[in-house]
Amino acid sequence: MAPVPCAICKTSRALIIRPKNHQKLCKACFIAIFEAEIHHTITTTALFSPGDRIAIGASGGKDSTVLASVLKTLNERYNYGLELFLLSIDEGIKGYRDDSLETVKRNAQQYDMPLKIVGYDELYGWTMDQVVETIGKKGNCTYCGVFRRQALDRGAKMLGIKHVVTGHNADDVAETILMNLLRGDLPRLARSTSIVTGDSTSDVRRSKPLKYAYEKEIVLYAHHKKLDYFSTECLYSPEAFRGSARTLIKSLERVRPSTILDVVRSGEDMAKLVPEEVTGLSQCKSQKVSLSSADGEEDGSAGCGSNGRSSGGEMADMERKLQDDEAASGREMEITAVPLTNGQQHARVAGKSRKDVGRKLTRQTLGTCKQCGYMSSQDICKACMLLEGLNKNRPKMEIEIDVEDEESSTLRRKIEGLALAAG
Amino acid sequence: MALPGDDLESGNSATVCKRCNENEATHKIRSESVCAKCFAAYVTTKAVKRMETFKVRASSSKAPRKFLLPLSFGPSSASLLYILDQHLRNQYERMNRAAYELYVVHIDLYLDDADKKESADLLEKYKGLFSRHTYCSHGLDEALSLGNIDWKALGISSLWQVTERTSTERLQQLIGSMPSATSKADIISTLLTRLLVEVAKENGCESILFADSTTRLAEKTLTETAKGRGFSLPWQVSDGASPYGVGFNYPLRDILKKEVVAFTSLTAPSIKDLVKLPQPLSQISASSKTTTIDDLMVQYFESVEENFPSIVANVVRTSSKLKPLINYDVSACSVCGLPVAEGTDGIYGWGGDQNSVSRAATEDTHRDILCYGCSRSING
Repeated sequence: MAPVPCAICKTSRALIIRPKNHQKLCKACFIAIFEAEIHHTITTTALFSPGDRIAIGASGGKDSTVLASVLKTLNERYNYGLELFLLSIDEGIKGYRDDSLETVKRNAQQYDMPLKIVGYDELYGWTMDQVVETIGKKGNCTYCGVFRRQALDRGAKMLGIKHVVTGHNADDVAETILMNLLRGDLPRLARSTSIVTGDSTSDVRRSKPLKYAYEKEIVLYAHHKKLDYFSTECLYSPEAFRGSARTLIKSLERVRPSTILDVVRSGEDMAKLVPEEVTGLSQCKSQKVSLSSADGEEDGSAGCGSNGRSSGGEMADMERKLQDDEAASGREMEITAVPLTNGQQHARVAGKSRKDVGRKLTRQTLGTCKQCGYMSSQDICKACMLLEGLNKNRPKMEIEIDVEDEESSTLRRKIEGLALAAG
Repeated sequence: MALPGDDLESGNSATVCKRCNENEATHKIRSESVCAKCFAAYVTTKAVKRMETFKVRASSSKAPRKFLLPLSFGPSSASLLYILDQHLRNQYERMNRAAYELYVVHIDLYLDDADKKESADLLEKYKGLFSRHTYCSHGLDEALSLGNIDWKALGISSLWQVTERTSTERLQQLIGSMPSATSKADIISTLLTRLLVEVAKENGCESILFADSTTRLAEKTLTETAKGRGFSLPWQVSDGASPYGVGFNYPLRDILKKEVVAFTSLTAPSIKDLVKLPQPLSQISASSKTTTIDDLMVQYFESVEENFPSIVANVVRTSSKLKPLINYDVSACSVCGLPVAEGTDGIYGWGGDQNSVSRAATEDTHRDILCYGCSRSING
C-alpha cells in the first residue's frame, strides 16, 4: 500500500490520525498544529501578559507535563515573557503521589523551572491516605478536590504568584458539563466552561489553556515528544456522577469524535442560558471569569483517576434524597411551586418559615474564611468545614459529600439560626 | 430497589395497594406499591394536570383551541392520545363542550409502499377507537417542499438538478449524503420538527403536544448537548412558545418511560395492539458505524431510569430552567430555523475552532447561516 502523505505538508508520510478530526498527519505537523492550537487559545483569550509569573499545577501526569512542555516551547517561540514555575501538591497517597512527585522533580530539571511542593499534611495535618482511612473510599474525591484547590492557591501565594494554570483538557471539561447536568447543578454548569476562574479581585486566578485539547492528542503529543510523565491513575475511584459521565463521554467520542468539542461548545452556550439569579453573576461577566475559585471541587479531575470504577453510592444517595423531597412536596402544597434543584432542597425546609428563600438564591460574594483567613464565599471555607469533620473523627459533611453546594450550606446555616431563634 | 418498607410486607404473598388499600399491588409508582387502577389514575392525572393551563374558554362563542398531536404509534404518543381523548370525553359529559380539539398527525418516516400501507391501516384503527378527533398523515418527503429551509445550506447541489426524481428518492439522497449515522438521525429529526410546525400552522393549531416522557426529555437534554445543540435546549424541553410561532408542550413530562409503557396495557378500551414498541437496544455497540448518539443516550437512560428514576426527573427539571436569550441580535439557522446569534459561523469561528489555517478552503464564498448543531451534522 502506498504511504499516505501528510494532509498539511503533503510531503512527509502521515503517521498519525488526529483523534479530533481524523486528519492524517506526519509527526512534525501534528506537533506543530497541536502547539499552534494552544497558542491560538492563549492569544485569543489574552490569557497572559508579558512579565506574568505563572505557576503550572504539576502532578507529573500527562496533562500537566504536556502543559509545562508546551508553555515552555511557546514562551520561547513567541516571546510571551512569562516566568514559569512548577507547583506540585503532595496529597499523601502512597504508591501514587510519591512516585509521581519524582517525575515532577525530573521535569523541573528538564524544563529548567523552579519547583515548589506543598503537602496536605503540612497544610491540613491530614494526608489523603489518612482521610480515606477515616471516611472510607466513598466521597473522598470531594476532600481531595477541595484540599487541592486551596493548596494550589496557597502554594501560589507562597511563591508570590497570582495565576495558576492547570492541565484540564477538553475531555475533563466535557465530562464536567455532563456531570453537572446529571446532578442538576446549574450554578456549576454556568461556570465550569470558562477558561479563567477568579477575577482581578481574587488573589489567585486559574486558567486551563488545554481546555480545547483532546486527551488522546495530549497522550500522542507526550509520546511523540518523548516527554517524561507518570501514567498511573489515582488509586481511589472517582465520584459516581463523574465516573458515569466519563464512561458516557468515551462512548460518545467513539460514535462521533467531534462530540467532546461539541459538548464543550454546548456547555459554553448553556452557561449563557442559566438565569442570573442562579449564577449570581451578571451575564457579561460570567463569560470570562467566575468567582468560584475559593470553593471546593470546581471542575476537576486533572490528576484524578480515570478508571471509572465506582460504587454508584453517590448516585444512590442523591436518588434517595430526591425521593424524600418528592414525598415531602406531596405534603406541603404551597411550596411545591418552588422548582427544585439540589441546591434548593434545604430551601424547601426553610420555606416553612420563609417562603421566598428558595427562589432568591443569595448572590455569592467573596470574603475570607473566619478560621484560616483564606478567601471564601462563606464564613468558614469549605476546607475548614471538611477539616472540622475530619478532626472530630467522623465525616460530618455527609449531606454535602455529593452535592457540595455553597447555597445549600448558607441556607442550612440560616435554618440552624431559625431553629435556634424558635427554640 | 429494596426499600425499608418492603421487608415488612414481604411475608405476605400479595401486597395491598398503598393508595386505595383494597386491591392487590401490581405496579410501582417510584417506590410505592400500587394496584393497576391507582397506577393508571396516577399517570392520567399527571398528564391531565399539564393540560389544565388550557381552560375551557369563558365565552361559548369562541372556537375551542386546537392542538396538534403527533402520533408515532409508540407507547408515549398512543398513551397521550388515549388520556386526552378521555379528558375531552369527560369535559363533554360534564359541560357539553371541551377546552380544546385535537388534530392528530402521523408522519411516515419509512417511505416504501408496504410501510405506508401498514401505517395507513394502523391510523384507521386509531380513528375507529378515538373518533372524536381529526386525523391526517404526511410523508417526511413533504418536508422537502418547505419554503423556509435553505436547501443550499445543506451543500447538496445535485438534489434539485435531476428533475425526474420523486420526492421520496430526493429525501433518501439527502439523508444518504449525511456524513454519519448521527448526522442522518439529526437531519431527520430537524425535518420532522419543521414539517410538524408547518402542519400545525396550516391547520390553525396553536401548540404541538409532544408525547415525550421524562426519560425521553432527559435523553434529549444530553443528546442535544452532545450534538453541540445546547443552545436549543430551552425550546426542546420546556413548555411554552417556540421560535417557530407555535407552542411546544410536553404533557407527559412527569411520567417515566417505563411508566408509560406499563400504562399502555392498562387502558380500556385496550390500545396494546395498536402500540408499536421500539426495538430493544440492549446490544448497542459504540464501535458500530450505525450507532447514533441518540441510541447511546436511550441505552444510558434506560439504566439510569431503572436504578435512579429521580435523577432522570432531576435532569429534566434542571434543563427546563435554562432560559432562551432575548434582546439579542439574532438570525435563523438556514436548516433548523432556530435563532442563532448574529455572526455565528456554525462549527467555525469560536474558541474551539483553533486550526482555521489547516482547514480545507470552502468552495463557495457565500456561506449560509448555520447553527453549530446543523453545521456539525453537515460537515461531519
